[in-house]
Formats: sequence, C-alpha cells, structure tokens
Amino acid sequence: MPYLFILMPMIGIMILNIFFGKRLKRFAFWFAFALFFTQMIIAVFHRLITVETGSGYTDIFFKADFLTDHLSFIMLLSIGIVSFASILVSRHAIPEDKSRFKFINLLMVASIGMSGIAIVKDLFSLYVFLEITSISAFILIAFQRDILGLEGSFKYIMLSALATIAMLVAIAIFLLISESTSFDSIAAALKDSRSSRLVLLAIGLFLCGLFIKGGVVPFHGWLPDAYSAAPAPASVLLAGIVTKACGIYGIIRVVTSVFGFDETIKNILLIAGTVSMLVGAVAALGQKNLKRMLAYSSISQIGYIVVGFGTGTALGIAGAIFHFFNHAIFKSLLFVNASALEMETGTNEMDAMGGVSEKMPVTGTTSIIGFLSASGIPPLAGFWSKLIIVIALWKTGNYLYAVIAVLAGIITLAYLLTMQRRIFFGKLAAGLENLKEAGPGITTAAIFLAAITIVAGIFFPLIFDKLIMPMNGMALF
Amino acid sequence: MTNIPLYLFILVPVAAGIAVLFVPGKARYIKETISLLAAVLLFVFLTALKGQEVHSALTWLSPGIEFSLRLYHFNAFIILATSFFGLLTILYSSVFMAGKDRSNQFYSYLLISIGFANGAVLADNLIVLLFFWEGLLVTLFGMIAIGNKNAFKTATKALIIVGISDLIMMAGIALSAHLGGTFEISKMKLTVDGLGGVAFILLITGAVAKAGSMPFHTWIPDAAVDAPLPFMAFVPAALEKLIGIYLLTRISLDIFTLTPHSWASTVLMAIGSITLFLAVMMALVQKDYKRLLSYHAISQLGYMVLGIGTFTPVGIVGGIFHMINNALYKSGLFLTGGAVERQAGTTDLDKLGGLGRQMPVTFACFIITALSISGVPPFNGFFSKELIYDGALECGRIFYIAAIAGSFLTAASFLKLGHAAFLGKGREPGMSKVKEAPVLMLIPMAVIAAVCVIFGVWNSFPINGLIVPILGEARAHGHIFSGFPANATLVLITVAVLVAALVNHIYGVRRTGRGAGAVDHIHHAPGLRYIYDKAERGYLDPYNIWSRAVKVFSAAAMLFDRTIDLIYDRLVVGAASFSSSAIRGLHNGNYKTYMLWSMITAAILIAIIAGVI
Repeated sequence: MPYLFILMPMIGIMILNIFFGKRLKRFAFWFAFALFFTQMIIAVFHRLITVETGSGYTDIFFKADFLTDHLSFIMLLSIGIVSFASILVSRHAIPEDKSRFKFINLLMVASIGMSGIAIVKDLFSLYVFLEITSISAFILIAFQRDILGLEGSFKYIMLSALATIAMLVAIAIFLLISESTSFDSIAAALKDSRSSRLVLLAIGLFLCGLFIKGGVVPFHGWLPDAYSAAPAPASVLLAGIVTKACGIYGIIRVVTSVFGFDETIKNILLIAGTVSMLVGAVAALGQKNLKRMLAYSSISQIGYIVVGFGTGTALGIAGAIFHFFNHAIFKSLLFVNASALEMETGTNEMDAMGGVSEKMPVTGTTSIIGFLSASGIPPLAGFWSKLIIVIALWKTGNYLYAVIAVLAGIITLAYLLTMQRRIFFGKLAAGLENLKEAGPGITTAAIFLAAITIVAGIFFPLIFDKLIMPMNGMALF
Repeated sequence: MTNIPLYLFILVPVAAGIAVLFVPGKARYIKETISLLAAVLLFVFLTALKGQEVHSALTWLSPGIEFSLRLYHFNAFIILATSFFGLLTILYSSVFMAGKDRSNQFYSYLLISIGFANGAVLADNLIVLLFFWEGLLVTLFGMIAIGNKNAFKTATKALIIVGISDLIMMAGIALSAHLGGTFEISKMKLTVDGLGGVAFILLITGAVAKAGSMPFHTWIPDAAVDAPLPFMAFVPAALEKLIGIYLLTRISLDIFTLTPHSWASTVLMAIGSITLFLAVMMALVQKDYKRLLSYHAISQLGYMVLGIGTFTPVGIVGGIFHMINNALYKSGLFLTGGAVERQAGTTDLDKLGGLGRQMPVTFACFIITALSISGVPPFNGFFSKELIYDGALECGRIFYIAAIAGSFLTAASFLKLGHAAFLGKGREPGMSKVKEAPVLMLIPMAVIAAVCVIFGVWNSFPINGLIVPILGEARAHGHIFSGFPANATLVLITVAVLVAALVNHIYGVRRTGRGAGAVDHIHHAPGLRYIYDKAERGYLDPYNIWSRAVKVFSAAAMLFDRTIDLIYDRLVVGAASFSSSAIRGLHNGNYKTYMLWSMITAAILIAIIAGVI
C-alpha cells in the first residue's frame, strides 16, 4: 500500500478543512500532529505490514504506478521525521491559530508531493509531484508576506520555471523514443538509442532541472535567500527535506532506474558535487546570519551526497543515501535550534547573540550534537556517512576528490564551531538577560532529532547492515 | 544448540552501565541490583552456549572490516573469569562504595569495562579488537578519576601511558594487516622475520603494556593510592591481566607460530624476568598496604609473560594457569586491603597492627591468598609457578634464577605485610577498637580464598578442563601438567627458598623489633639504598623522565610554533576570508544573475553529455 502515503495527507486535508475549518482551528494542530506521527510510524513499519511492490491507478494518459524499495523507504522515513519535527516547531513558532491552520494545510500538500516523489516509477508523475511540492514551498517561503520572503519565493519561482521547462522538454523527447514515460520503458528505449544527440540533450536537460531543484552549485542562487526568509517551521521543512526530495532523491532515482551510470554522468556528478561541497563550505565561513550560514552549509552537504553517489559504486551510493538521511536529521535539528533562537532573541544575526547556552540549555546541548554530527565527529551518525563517502572516493581512485571532501569537512567544523562559540558559549550578550528556553514543542523536536543522530551513530553497524546495504540488491545495476 | 547472539555479551553490560547512570543518587540497591543482574546474565549466556564454538559477523565499515565475533573455549574462559570477578567486585562495592559520591559512575564504568573487555576478547577482527581495546582506555580514565583529590592527575597519567601503548599496538595492527592481507585474526598467519618481527614486537608491546608490564606500569602504584579500591581489585588485578595475557597468547599461538629458543622467545622472557624482579624489589620496601600489592600486580605479570614467552607447552600452560591464579589471589588481596582500609581508616603499615584478632575472617583470607601468591604448596600459586619454573629452566638458567629470586622476595614482602598489618600491636590508639568488615565484603574474599584452595588441591580441573584445550591437543600431547610437580629437585629448591624467606623475615624482625621493618636491612643495604631512594621519588619513572624531556622539547617547539602560527594567522585565515568574501560578492542577490549562471552551466553540461566538448 505505498499509495497510503499520498492518500493519508490528501484525506487529511479534506478532514482538516471540513471539520476543523471553522471553530475548531485550535485543534488543527493536534490533528496534524497525530497524522504526521502516524505517517512516521507507518514509514518505519510499512514494509512489515505490506508485501506488495507495485499498484496504482492507470488511465490512458496519466499513469500512476507506485513502488517502494529500500531507497524510498529511507526517503519516506526522512520525510516522516522532518515533517513531524516541523509540525512540532509550528506550535510555538506560529502563534495565531489562523495562520497555523494555513501552514498545516500547506505542510500536508508538501507531504503529498514528497511522498509521491518517493514512490513513483514514472518520469511524468515524478515531474507532477515535484511541482506539487515546489508550489507549496513557494507559498511557505513567502508565508509571512514580508519583503524578504517574497523576494526569496520569487527567486525560487524563477529558477524553478527554468527547471520546469528543462524537464518538460526532456520528457517530451523521451516520449518520442519510448511508448510511455514509465522508468522501465524509457530505460529500455535508452538502451537502443543511447548515442542519439537528441536523447543526450534530454538527459542533460533533465539532470540540469534536478540540479536546480536540489540547489547544486552553480544552480543554487535561490537557495540561501529562500531558506533564510522562510518562517521557522518552513525552513526546517525546506532545509531538512524539500530540496533533497526534489533534487537529490530525483537524481539518485533517475540515474539508477532510468539513465544508468556512464563515465560522463559520473564525472559530472563528481565535479558538481565537489564544487558544491567547497563553495558551500567556503561561503558559509563568512556568513553572519545564522540561517544563511546553515543554508550554505546545506549546499555543501548536498555536495557530499552527490559526490558519494557519483562514485557509482555500491559503497559510495550507500554512503550517499546514509548521508542523505543523516543530513535530513541534523540539518533539521540545526534549523529547529535556529528557530528557537529566532523566536526567543528575535534575531538571526550571530553578532547579537552570545552565551545563550546558559539560558537555553536544551537548545545549546542539542545544537552541539547537531553541529558535531554535521562536521563528522565520531561516534555521531554524520561521521560514518562522511567516512564511507571518503573511503568510496579513495577506492575508486578519485584521490583529489577524497582530499577535497576531507578538507571541506575541516571547513565545516571551522564554521560550525565558530557558530557554536559565538552563539552559545562565552559571556551572555547584552540585552539577553531575560532569555527563556524555547517552548516544549521546539525542545521536544530538538531532543527527538538529537536522539536519532546519536542512536543512528552508535548503532551504525546494525543500521548500515539492515537498511542501507540491502539497497545494492535493488535494481541498481 | 541454543542460539544467543554474541553481541549480547557486549550489549548487556554496556546497556546496564548506561542504565545505572540514570539511577538517582539516593536510590539504594537499585544500581547494585542492575549491575548484579547484568553480571549474572553473562553467566547464563555462557552456560547456554556451553562448549560451542560460535562465529558471527556483521558488515561494518567496509567489506573486509566486518564486525566479526568468535566465541570458543579460550575466550569463553576469559569471559567466565571477567564475569566472575565482576560479580564479586560489584558485591563488594555494594558496601565499599555505599554512600560515596559518584558511585553510580563507578558501577557504570565497571559494567562498560566488562562489556568492552568481552568485545575485545570476542573480536575476530583486529579493527574490532582495537575499537574495544581503546574503549577500555576511556572507562579506565573514568574509574581512576572518581577517586580521591589526586585521582585526576593519576588518571591523566594512566591515560597517557596506556594511550601510548595502544598507539603502538595500533601500528602493530596496521603492519600485521598489511603483511597478512586480512584483518581476520583466525585467518592471519605471520612469521617473525623481517617486518613480521617488527609487527610482533609492536603487538606484544600493546598486549603486555595493557597488562601493566614494565616500563608501562608506573600508573598502577599511583592508582592504588588514588583510585577507588574495588577498581584496583578488578581492573589491574584481574581484568587487564586477563585480556592482556589473552591477547599475548593469541598473538604467540595463533597469529604468529613461534618456537622455543627463538629470538622472540628470548625477548618475551627477558621482559618477563625484568618485570617480575624489579617490581618485586619495589614491592618489598613499600610502606603502604595497597601500594605494596600494586607492585606485586606488576611483578606477577612478569611470571605470566615469562611462562608464555618460553613457547614450550609446559610454560604456556603455566603462564595461563598463573594468569587465572593471579587474578584470584591478587583481587582477593586487594579486597582484604579494602576491608582494612574501611575498618581501620588507613593502609599505612607503620600505623596498622594487630588486626588479626579483631578481623579474623579477613586475616584468614589474607593468609590463604598470601600463601598462594608466595607459591606455598598446596595452594594454586605453587602449581602454576612450578610449571613456569619448569619451562624457564628448559630455556635458560638465568631466567629460572630471576624467577626463583622473585619468589624469595615475594614471600619476604608478604611476611612483612602480614606481620605488620595483622600481628603485633597497633601503633595508633584506635587499632584495638577496629571491627570485622560487613558480611557482604567478606563473602567475595571468602569465595576467592576457597577457589584458591580448590585450584591448588584439585588442580587437574582447571588445567585439564580449561587450559589444555586452549593449547590444543597437538601441542599438549604427551605432557602431564596437573597433579603434584614431577621434578622433585625444583620443588625442593622452591621450599628452600621459602624457608630462606622465613629466616630472613625473622632476622629482620629481630633486628628492628617490628613487622613493618622486616626488610629494612635490604632496603638500607649499601648501593640499593641509593637506587630505592631515587625510585621512590619518581626519578626512574619513565613517565616523569619523559614529562621533563617533553618540557624542554615543547619550549623549543614553541619558538617554531609561533613562526608557523604567524603564517596560519595571516595566510590561511586571509585566504579563507578572501575567498569567502569573493563568493559572497558573486551572490549579488539578483535573480537574473542566478538564472544566467544556471543557463550557462546547463549549456556546458549538455554539451559535455552530448559529446560536443
């Protein structure tokens, strides 16, 4: 029943608007809380409950065919966890019931889109769900209707339009050579006409579209503005999962199931990944705004995922997917902490903060865990995935990339350590004497995510063995 | 055939250790109960897996580095022993640590140590072994650091010394994996010539240093005074000897195949003899109950290394038998030391005295364990030492002489210790009011003393049942190790030496008129006095020597460092901030720029894919 993941939020929206729309807006949060919690639990267990692999609705033009494998499982799990964290944060970050009600609606739309991306096996459906996700993301970014939000949203729309054009053109070309847009038939058709210029153009266009959605350098221009302008719970969602679902998961899925690896694609992925890794990290180094720094950090971490995937070996792909999951967790955690700080201190400027740990112990402590995991310090989860990616690079003979990956890791540690020191350690900054810990919703989310990071790090052998490695048994090669 | 996953041996104690940390400080008996349950569970697992050889592997870091564990009779024996001593130590600590600050940390570190030690002995992959081996370093630090106010300094010293030896072993592991082409211990076969010899030396250095061999021993006497006593009874006396000697045996028998009279054998035997002789010389003149015992903990290790270093069947059996015997009587002795400390309030031999009458059970346990360590028949220490003498004599008279001299000094120092603490009259007024220790502390001591007697009188059980299978049928064929020693000459020499020690003691007591001064004539002998003086003040401690050398070096390095620092400050930071601001400058915030970037790059990428460029 993979389509459950789409149906649940869809029906959820209906119930929400029919029953909670008028007077019960106050309870909408609890309804959404229950819904996302259930979704998260189902994501964990649905492979035990169901055994089917494909089912769906078929029409003459629009085919919806769904599939879950280990890769979608990791994706659905990440979606579940991050959406759950986001809804927890919204409890305090969006105080009025009315706006929160709107936010919850948009979150559910995004959830439909992302779950759809995770389970489709059809190129056109993939595009449709990408657009569903993106549209809700546009609105979420501009949610506060301030000038920065509108600007960020506008940039995202403009670049997304480019991506849309590229992807639609590519799909049209694929339809020329294949009878349908399902992954299998395109993959089969590609085998015959691989060398055709037109097909290669389509592959390039589609990849570029996904690069834009994923924020890979130099397609990333929209990303820092969008992340930093979005309201707190939306930035948790965007940074944690939306761009990764649209861009990175799309790349992994399309390359493994449709295009297949060849030397050119590998090289493009390796170069794009390395450039993202380095540019993101160096740019983050000089940021003064916390959310912007985290946004550049995301670009850099996306680079790791792309590079790991670009090795094309079982180990590298496993590392990339594990890093995908880890990044979803620790980046959401850092953004949750950023929201807590934004709400309590009223600013995102790091210069205005200092010694916050004293007043906000939970935020300070979980932030340490998050940044250590992001910098790849053992035994936290982020260390293992980065290690695997570096090992995979080394084994495939990409020594230069491996060295750059380690170097970018050092820069990551440098800027995150600076961030931690400026905000949390040292003397309490002036004007923050009456600072309180953030509300229970936010601290719960932070503790929840920090716990996942620790547990995934300590039980890494087990998780890697049971969840990540079996992916090499799927139809990758 | 029962199926118990091997990782439970690691997971259960570690989980219990973590759980104990969360028990509120005021709740009584909860942490003790959790700890005891975890130790008992290990016994249950072992019984359920009785006699089986189990192998399990999980994929870990990468193919070739698997989380592989293997249980067979040797490490089952070690786990049995660690669980046994763990159980007794926890029982003992339930009284000894009661009401002390941070007692839940102590239980936690203790349990995690047991889990890590189990992991280290179960490991069938050198990387896994190294992981747990290094993990033990952390809990070691923790357990010492929760002692008295000097403890933190001692803990740092232990961390540095043991850390260095672990680093040496890490190099050894890297080298042997390079030579052997695998990390799997059971698949590795190396020889001791050329680089293999280097790997061998590095590996055994790590193994015997963990067990506290010279010159990696100096933290142990300090810890004896500063760390909580149950730590001493468990870790340096039992746990570290067990795993250190286990690894040494694995290295000598499985990874390398060594023969008697090889250079490797001579090296090991030399390490063993020097350690046993020098440490017991130091033990002889100690004025503190616990410090004296701690030097013996080092000295006894020398016997084991000597025994195994012979690489003769009789020597190896003797060495392993001595390992378990030493773990028994040495933790027993430390436990009596703890009882004395708790009841009398001091462990200074000049203050103690006449406790035998007030603490009869403790005294009885002390007598049995002291006779065992001195090698008096029919206690267990006698039999294992005879086996080691036998092996040593086969390989060179000098080693035998060192061993027998060590035996003389051991007996002399324990006569002094017993006399000073339990006989005569106390010099402090409070000594006559001291009472016997609580029953929960007496039970572990009594159990250990009983096992010492059983392993002595009925030595065929441990030797034939537990140790000979480790050696393997092929090696043990044609030898009889158990029963009374066959070589009557050696036994006669041993007895003569013990009598000499007694005569020496009586002479010393006559001379000074008190038990604590029984060996003063050796202490103040011309020549020795000077060396003892230097050693007591720590001049001969390699750690101190190095610390001084490091200070000189660091002053020189500082100068160099400032120069480098300048380069870093200007160059690296400058480059970073320059590139960072350059990239920021490129992001002008205009969406048209971003779209242009995207389109140009897309065009380039497509051109590359299409093969135009």
